[in-house]
Amino acid sequence: MIEKMTNWLLIAVVFAGVNTATAWAKDTFYYIGYGLIQVVDGEIDAIVADIPVHGWLRETDFSADGKFLYVTANRHLIHRIDLAEKRVVSTIDVSDGGWDRFIFGFDLAPDGKTAYVNLLSRRTHKGEVVVAAPVLAQIDLEDGSILRSIEMPWSSASLVSVKNATNIYVIGKDIIKVDVSAEEMQIIGSYPMFDKKWNILPMWDNTKENGGVFIVNYYTPERMGLVSIDSATGEITDMLINGAPVFAYSVMRSPDKKKVYAVMDELTVIDLETRSYESVTPIPSGTNYAINVSSNGKKIYVSGGGATTTVFDAESLQPIKVLQMKTDGMDFRRLTK
Amino acid sequence: MKKKRAIQALNEKARAIQSLADGEKKSVQARQQGPPAMPVGCTTIFDTGWETNPRSSYPVGNCLSSAKDFHGCAGDCWWPAQVPDGLTNHEDFDQQCPNIARDWRVLKYD
Repeated sequence: MIEKMTNWLLIAVVFAGVNTATAWAKDTFYYIGYGLIQVVDGEIDAIVADIPVHGWLRETDFSADGKFLYVTANRHLIHRIDLAEKRVVSTIDVSDGGWDRFIFGFDLAPDGKTAYVNLLSRRTHKGEVVVAAPVLAQIDLEDGSILRSIEMPWSSASLVSVKNATNIYVIGKDIIKVDVSAEEMQIIGSYPMFDKKWNILPMWDNTKENGGVFIVNYYTPERMGLVSIDSATGEITDMLINGAPVFAYSVMRSPDKKKVYAVMDELTVIDLETRSYESVTPIPSGTNYAINVSSNGKKIYVSGGGATTTVFDAESLQPIKVLQMKTDGMDFRRLTK
Repeated sequence: MKKKRAIQALNEKARAIQSLADGEKKSVQARQQGPPAMPVGCTTIFDTGWETNPRSSYPVGNCLSSAKDFHGCAGDCWWPAQVPDGLTNHEDFDQQCPNIARDWRVLKYD
């Protein structure tokens, strides 16, 4: 009797343990569209909710607790979305005082109340156009006001917080390192890219899903490479890929860090050990902007550009499912809880 | 009799153009010298046109008005001659047809 009870107890414990393990990591994906964000359940790969959001959506960042998603729109609005309620709870506009301002690059500051943005600004004065110098700015997320700023070179397109946001790396023609830990921002270095004839489009930031590493592809006149920024250490590494370059808008590492997946009109797998293109798979739906990977590495999602999200099996690289989205899209972000 | 001008210059740039037409010496600022003094809102790239697809068979529709990246090219003014300028003149154009492949026929902007 006791032995039988012990056996049942043992089975119950094992069953509970298995259920706990499978309940650990739940992926939820957010399709960043036009006037709309659609929520995709990563377990069933189905659209489960729509979140109306005004404007053509661009950069995104999750709050540290995963409860909110900040998204920029029309290059000058910042929406704060409550992910539990699935609605916009506040919106700020960085344009004011007669100035049109445009955001290129967005990262939440650790305080959760401010954010770092690259800003281009213009206004008219007595019939003339006045264009201000580009800046990296820290803004108040309550009202969009600029708390402090520092002049940047032209062509800043994105930014990454590193070393617990004591530094901001601004990505443009070069990577400019800015120390923001003191009262005044200070440029402390740079990583040259322009003089090396690198062409780069750093518009898709999946640093959080990518194990804290910002990774983007670049092109030389002959080849494609990958440049990565470790947000924990600030280390920048680059790697040229052997062979004729593929077309790619964005890239993402596999969770085991052995591969990089790249997407545009094809899904390309890059082997990081051999630094070569392992496979190139045409995407039936056409051009896609964004790529993401399930937290267990078994599925690859290509999305954005048009109004589709295609789910690929990471092993076979066969498409499993195609989701028809309501609007065209810009990005596809993952939140794992 | 001096011909009355139908168009009057209202700002410095217009007066400069007017002076040019009158045979004044023109001034040219090389782009390499200093930052670009131009209004924000237009692309600074000069590619051959949207889109010259080198691949004959796919992707489907990448060179058409219903192309998959129409919105991505429009809002940020990558192709100012072919797609709406979402930064200045057509900020909410995407509301007309957020799904280009489905709704491109209702697009109306000039």
